[in-house]
Amino acid sequence: MRGGTRTALVALLLLWSLGPMLWQLYTSLRTPEALLAGAGGLAGGWTLANYGAVLGGDPPFWRYLLNSTVVGALSTLLTLALAIPCAYALSRRRGLLRLLVGGGLLAAAVFPYVLLFLALLQVARQLGLANSLLALCLPYAGLQLPLAVLLLQAAFAELPPELEESAVLEGFSLWQRLRWILLPLMGPAVVSTGLLVFLFSWNEFPIALTWISRSELLTLAPAMARIAGSSVYTVPYGAFAAATVLGSVPLLALLLLFQRQIVAGLTQGAIKG
Amino acid sequence: MSRRLTAIALGLLLALAMGLLSWVWARPATVVRVLMPAPFADATADLVATFNRAHRDVRIAVTRGPFETDAVSDLAISSLLLGDSPYDLLLMDVTWTAKYAAAGWLEPLDPWLGPEALEPLVTGARAGNRIDGRLYRLPLVADMGLLYWRTDLMAAPPRTPDELVAIARALQQQGKVRWGYVWQGRQYEGLSCVFVELISGFGGQWGPGEAGVGLASPAAARAAGWLQQLVNEGISPRAVANFAEPEALQSFEAGEAAFMRNWPYAWQELQRPGSAVAGRVGITTMVAEPGAAPAATQGSWGFSLLSGSPHPETAVTVLRALTGEASQRRLVSRYGYTPTLQHLFDDPELVAERPQLPQLRQALDQAVLRPLNPGYAQLSDILQRQLSALISGRGEAATAMARAGRESDLLLRASGQEVGR
Amino acid sequence: MSSLLLMAPALLLLLAVFVWPLLDYAWLSLQAQSVFTGLETVPVGAANWQRLLADGRFWQDAGQTLRFALVSVALELVAGLAIALLLHQRWRGRGTVRSLALLPWALPTTVMALGWRWIFNDPHGPLNGVVQSLGLATVPFLASPDLAWVATVVADVWKTTPFVALLLLAGLQMIPADLYEAFALEGGTPWQGLRRITLPLLRPYIFIAALFRLAQALGVFDLIAVLTGGGPASSTESLAVYAYLNAMRFLDFGYSATVMLGMFLLLLLGAAALLLWRRQAEVGA
Repeated sequence: MRGGTRTALVALLLLWSLGPMLWQLYTSLRTPEALLAGAGGLAGGWTLANYGAVLGGDPPFWRYLLNSTVVGALSTLLTLALAIPCAYALSRRRGLLRLLVGGGLLAAAVFPYVLLFLALLQVARQLGLANSLLALCLPYAGLQLPLAVLLLQAAFAELPPELEESAVLEGFSLWQRLRWILLPLMGPAVVSTGLLVFLFSWNEFPIALTWISRSELLTLAPAMARIAGSSVYTVPYGAFAAATVLGSVPLLALLLLFQRQIVAGLTQGAIKG
Repeated sequence: MSRRLTAIALGLLLALAMGLLSWVWARPATVVRVLMPAPFADATADLVATFNRAHRDVRIAVTRGPFETDAVSDLAISSLLLGDSPYDLLLMDVTWTAKYAAAGWLEPLDPWLGPEALEPLVTGARAGNRIDGRLYRLPLVADMGLLYWRTDLMAAPPRTPDELVAIARALQQQGKVRWGYVWQGRQYEGLSCVFVELISGFGGQWGPGEAGVGLASPAAARAAGWLQQLVNEGISPRAVANFAEPEALQSFEAGEAAFMRNWPYAWQELQRPGSAVAGRVGITTMVAEPGAAPAATQGSWGFSLLSGSPHPETAVTVLRALTGEASQRRLVSRYGYTPTLQHLFDDPELVAERPQLPQLRQALDQAVLRPLNPGYAQLSDILQRQLSALISGRGEAATAMARAGRESDLLLRASGQEVGR
Repeated sequence: MSSLLLMAPALLLLLAVFVWPLLDYAWLSLQAQSVFTGLETVPVGAANWQRLLADGRFWQDAGQTLRFALVSVALELVAGLAIALLLHQRWRGRGTVRSLALLPWALPTTVMALGWRWIFNDPHGPLNGVVQSLGLATVPFLASPDLAWVATVVADVWKTTPFVALLLLAGLQMIPADLYEAFALEGGTPWQGLRRITLPLLRPYIFIAALFRLAQALGVFDLIAVLTGGGPASSTESLAVYAYLNAMRFLDFGYSATVMLGMFLLLLLGAAALLLWRRQAEVGA
C-alpha cells in the first residue's frame, strides 16, 4: 500500500473513532444559543458554563466518577482474590473436571449477562443488598470471574513446571509457592486481567440500574442514563456533552497509560480461548 | 475569681437560652417531597413557592422529573421496588393508579379526605381515582379527547361516523381541504386513546370483565374497521399511521383538514397568530353511531400518597393545597389546563378568559376511562399493535380485534386473573 | 483435593451468579408474580409460556434483535478486518493510533449512547446540520422506525469494531510473514494473498470474534435503553429491553422471567447452529 493511501485511511480511521468524541467536546464548550443557531459563527458562543452546571449539580458529577472508581477498584480486588487460586488449581489439574470447568467458564464468559439482572434484582431485594456500593461488587466479581480465571490459568500454564517442582523439593508450602515464586512471574497477566475487570465494572449498566436507586450512590453508567431520561424534549445538550466528556476522561487516561496491558489481555483471551 | 465564674455562668446561660430560642424559632420544617413530570413542576413552581412562604413548619420540595411520562414512572418504581422511596407524593397519570395500588405502594386517602372527597369534582374527573372502593388519588387537572371542527366549512359538526365521512368527502371533493380527518395513528398510547372513545361510540366497551377484554366484539371490529376505512378511502392521510398529537395539530393548523381529534391544549395553539384557522375552530365530542352515546377518553393527572411516607398527615395537607381551588384557578388562567373542580367551569371570570370551558365540561361529562387494570400498559400495547397494523394497511379488522382479545385474555390468565365469560 | 478447595470460593460465586438465576427463572416462569397478584407468587402452570408463544411483541423483538445482531456483527467483522490489516502494517505512530482507535470500545456504552442521541438530534444535531446545509429538510433519525434502527446499528458498530479489530490483529500476527513472501514469488497479487492465505488462516479468530460479538449483540441492552428507549413504537426494542420493561415497568416478574428464559433458549439454538456451521466449514476446508 502506498504511503499516501495509508495516511488517508489512517486519518479516516481516526475521524471515525474520535469524531463523535470530538463533537461532544465541541458541544460541551458551546452556549445553548450557539448550538441552536447552527453552523454560522465560531467567533463567539464559547463557554465553560456547561461544566459548571454538571459539576455543580445535585449530586455533583464527580460523585458518580468516585462511585464508579470505588466499585471498579473493589470488584477488581475481589475478582482477582477469587480468580487467582482458582486459576492456579485449574492449571494444575488434568482430566474430566478441568474440561468441565473450563467449558463452563468459556460458556459463562460468552453469556450475555443482561439475562441475569432480574434474578439478581430479586436477590438484592430479599437480602437487602440494594443501594450499597459494596454489595454491588459481588455480582460484578461473579460476572467477571469466567474471563479472569481463563486468562490467568492460561498464564499459569505457561510457567515452566520445573520451577514449582524445585520449590516443592525445597519445602515451600502451597501459599509460599504462589506468593513468592509464581505470582511475581504472573505480574503482566494479573495487571491486564485486572484492567479488563475494572473496565467492565466501571461501565456496567443493567445491574447498577436495578440495584441502585438513590441518586448519590449511582455509578457513572446509570447516572448517564438518568441524565438522558430526564430531558427528552429540551436541548440542554451542552450539559449532556460536558457529562460525556467528563465521563470519558478517566478512561482515556487509563487507556493511554495501560494500552499495552489492555491489548495483551484482550488478545490473550482470543489466542488461548 | 468568683466574678469571673459568674460571668462565665451567665454567658453559658445566655448561650443556652439563645440556643433554645433559635431551636424553637427555626425548628426544622417537615419536608414533603413531591415527584412531578417536568412540565407540571414548572407550572406549579410559583404555587409551591407561595406555599413555602406561608408555612413555617412545612416545606414542599419538588423533584422535577423527566419530561416523558414513562420515565417519571420508571424513576419512582426503581426506588419503590427496592423499598426505599424518597418521595411522599407522586403526580400520576390516570392509567398508573391501578398498577401502583395493586403493588401496595399507595396509601388510601379516605381516612384523611373523607368519603366526599370527590364530590366537588366534575363528574368526568371523578372516575379513575378509586380502586376497589378506596380513594388512591386526587386529580389536579383533567384532559379529554375532543373533536375539533372548522366553523367556516360547515354549519354544525357531524354527530355520527357516517356524517363525518360524508362531510369530509364533500369538502375534499370541493377542494376546500386536502384531508378530511386527522388523528393520532402512531403505535403509542395516543392510539389507544383514539380507540377507547370510538369503541364506546360504536356501542362497545374496552375493559376486563368483557369477553376478550371487549375487543372480540362486533363494536370493536366496527370501530377498528372505521379507522381503517378512513385511511383506505383517503379521508385521512396514509401518514396518519405515524401521527402523534403534534403532527395532527400541525396539519389542522395549516388548514389542511376539516376535522382533528386532539386534547384541550390544542385550542390555544390553534388561536395563535400564525395559525391558518384561528377563530374558525369549534370543539365537540367524538362522533357516535345513532343510539350510542358519544364519548371522550379521559386523561388526567393527580396526586397520590406513597405508603412509605414518614409523615402522611403533612403530606395530605400539601396534597390538599396543591389540588385546591387557588391552585387550579392559577393553572387554568395561566397555563390553560382543564380544571377538575366543578364550580370553576361556571366561574364567570375564568370563562371570560377561557371561553371553551363550558364545552370542555360537556365533553368531560361523557368521559370514558381506559381499563382500570394493573396490567393496563400491556393491554394497551396489545391493542396498539393490532390497530397499527390495520391502519398501515395490513389485515382485516374483525380478525385483528379477535386476535387482540385473545392475546389480552392470555395475558390476564397468565397473571392469575379471572377472564370474563 | 486441595485444588478443589482453592477453586471452591470462585465456583460457588459462579454458581450463585450464573446457575441460580436460570433455575430461579425456570421456577418463576411457572408462577404469576406480578402487580396483578400484589407481587405475591401464585402458580399458574404453563400460562406464561402460552402467552409467550402468542405474544406478538416477543416475536417481533426476537426478529429485531436477531437482525440487529447479524447486521452489526457482519459490519463489524468487515470493518474490523480492514482496520486490523491497516494496523498490521509497519508505520510510524502505529501504537498511538491503535490506542486511540480503541477508545470507543473502552467508554461506557451509556455515555456514548447519549452522545449519539445528540448527533442524531432533529433538527439541532450535527448530522442534521449537514443535511440542512445541503438545503434539504431535516431527517427525524430517531423518530422514524427504519432510521432509528440504522442509528442503533451505527452506534454499535462504532463502539465494538475496535474490539473485533484487535482480536483479528492478534490473529494476523500469528501468520508467518514468509508465507506471503513465497506467495509473492509465485506471482500472487496482494488481493489473492488476502483470500488464499490471510482469510483461511484467520478463520479461527474470525469465529471467536463473531461468537463473542454475536452473544453480546443478541443481549444488547445499554445502547438501546439510552439511545432510543426501544422506540419508536418498539421498533428498535431488543429482547433484553422487553424483559427489562416487563419487570421494571409492567411489574410482571413471572412473565419477565419467561421472556428471559425464552431468549436463553433461542440463544442456545443459535449457538448450536453456529457450532454446526463451524463443523461443516471445517469439513469443507
